[in-house]
Amino acid sequence: MAELEVRVISERREGLLVELGRVVSEHDHVLVRQRLAPDTQGASLTLVLRGPDERRAALERALGTHPRVVRLELAPREAAMPPDEVVPVAAELPQAVSAPPKTLGYGAASAADVVQVEHMLPSLAKDYPRIFPWLINLEYAVAAEAREASLHLAGRRAGAWVFRRDFLFGARLALGDALRRIALPALRELVLVELHGHQLHVRGCPLCQPGGLSGGRFFCGFVEGLLADALAGGVPRASEVSCHCHGEPECVFKVGS
Amino acid sequence: MESRGKGSFMQDMHQHYNYLWVALSYVVAVLGSYTALQFALGIRLARTPRRRWIAVAGAGAAMGGGAIWAMHFIAMLACSIGAQATYDVMLTGISALLAIVVCSLALAMVGDGAFRWSHGLGAGTLMGLGIAGTHYLGMSAMLMSARVSYDIRIVALSVVTAVLASTVALWLAFNLRGRLQVLGSALVLGAAVCGMHYIGMGAATFTERGTLPAGFDQGVGGDHLGRVIFAIVVALLVLALGLSIVRQYRRAVLSI
Repeated sequence: MAELEVRVISERREGLLVELGRVVSEHDHVLVRQRLAPDTQGASLTLVLRGPDERRAALERALGTHPRVVRLELAPREAAMPPDEVVPVAAELPQAVSAPPKTLGYGAASAADVVQVEHMLPSLAKDYPRIFPWLINLEYAVAAEAREASLHLAGRRAGAWVFRRDFLFGARLALGDALRRIALPALRELVLVELHGHQLHVRGCPLCQPGGLSGGRFFCGFVEGLLADALAGGVPRASEVSCHCHGEPECVFKVGS
Repeated sequence: MESRGKGSFMQDMHQHYNYLWVALSYVVAVLGSYTALQFALGIRLARTPRRRWIAVAGAGAAMGGGAIWAMHFIAMLACSIGAQATYDVMLTGISALLAIVVCSLALAMVGDGAFRWSHGLGAGTLMGLGIAGTHYLGMSAMLMSARVSYDIRIVALSVVTAVLASTVALWLAFNLRGRLQVLGSALVLGAAVCGMHYIGMGAATFTERGTLPAGFDQGVGGDHLGRVIFAIVVALLVLALGLSIVRQYRRAVLSI
C-alpha cells in the first residue's frame, strides 16, 4: 500500500479540504498529511494519501473531475518516510504557532471553542462515519489553545449521539462488556481498532500523524460519550497512553470507570 | 396429570401434523417474541411510570398473548389426532391471562437497568414456567372424546427446555448490541416456546374414550379460535412494524 501525493489547485480554499477529503474517503483512502497554501490561481492543496492500489485510478478520476479542482497532479511516494522529511501541516498554520506541548493530548487546559464545535457537528452527523475531514477542519478552525478541548467536546458529542442512535436499547453493562459490544463496533466504523483488556489500540489514526499533533482527545471524548449511559456502574474515563504522532506504531487508549 | 398406561385397554390415537402450520407456529412465536423484546428493551428508557407500565404491558401482551398463547393454539390446529376438539372458554382465557401476566413480570424484572444473573435466572425461570403453564393449561382446556396422559419425564424435559432457552434468549436480548440483538434473541425465544410445546406434545398420549365430555358443545371451536389467532397475528405484525418505523424515524431525526 504505497503513498500517493496529490497536488490540487483550486480557485477558493474555503471548504476545499473537506470536500476533497470526502472524495478521498469514498475511495477507501486515508489522509496521511495535507498542506494548504495560497496560490496565484487561488489555493494549492497538497495531500499525502494512503489506500489500496486498485482504487487509485477511480480516485484519480473522481478528483480530476471534481468541480473544485482546476489542476491536478499525482505522484507516488515511498510509504515509509523518515520522520525528518515529514512537514506537519499544523506547524505551517497560524493556529499551531503556539501549539500545546505534546503530552499525549493533555497539553491544553483551555476551554473548548463551543461555537466552532456546534457549527461543525451537524456536518459531522451528516457525513458519519466519514468524519475526519470535518475534524481536521475543526483543528484548523479553533485557536491552538482550544484545539484539544474542542476535539474532546466533539468526541463526546459524537459518541453520545452514536450511542443513542445505535446502542441505546439493552441493559447497562460492565466496562469490559461495554467496550467489547459498544465501543469496539462503534470505533470500527471510524478506524482500525483492537481491544486488549481495557485498552483500545487504534492503527493509522488520521488525526495523529507522525510529527504532527495528537488528535487522541477526540477518541477519548468519543469513548466517554459513547459509554456515559451504558455502564452499570461508574463514569467512563478514557486517556491516551501512547500516540502514533510520537512515533508509536499505534495510538493506545486506556479506559476505566 | 395422569401417567401413561392408564386405560390402556382403549386404543391410542396418533398425532399427525400439518407441517405448514407447524412452521407458522414458529413464525408466530418469533414474531411475538420480536415485538415483546422491542417493548421490553424500552422499559429502561421510559421517563414516566406510566410509560414504563405501557412498555411492560406491551411486552407481556406480545410475549404471552402472541408468542406463547397464539403459538400454542396454532400448533394445536396443526395437530390432528382423529377426534374433533373444542376448548373450554374459561380455561383457555385463563391460559392467555397466565401467559401475559407471567411474561410481564419476567420482562419487567429483567428489563430495568443492569442485567444481573439473579434477575436473569429468575426472569428466565418465570418465563419458562409461564410457557409451560400456558401449554398444559391449554391442553387441559381441550374438550374431546379422548383422554390425555403424559410421560412425566418428557414433561420435565419440556419445562427445563423452556426455562433454559428463555434464560439464554433474555440474556442475549439485554446484553448483546447490534443487528442480531433483537432478531437473534427472538429466534431463540421462539425456539424456547416451540421447543417446549412440541416436546410437551411428545409427552402426551391420547386415548380414545368413546364419549364426548360435558361442555363440549359450549367450547370454542377451531374456526373461532382461528379468527382470534388471525387477529392477534395481525396486531403483532402491526405493532412490530409500527415500533420499527417509529424507532427508525427517531434514529433518523436524532440530533447530535
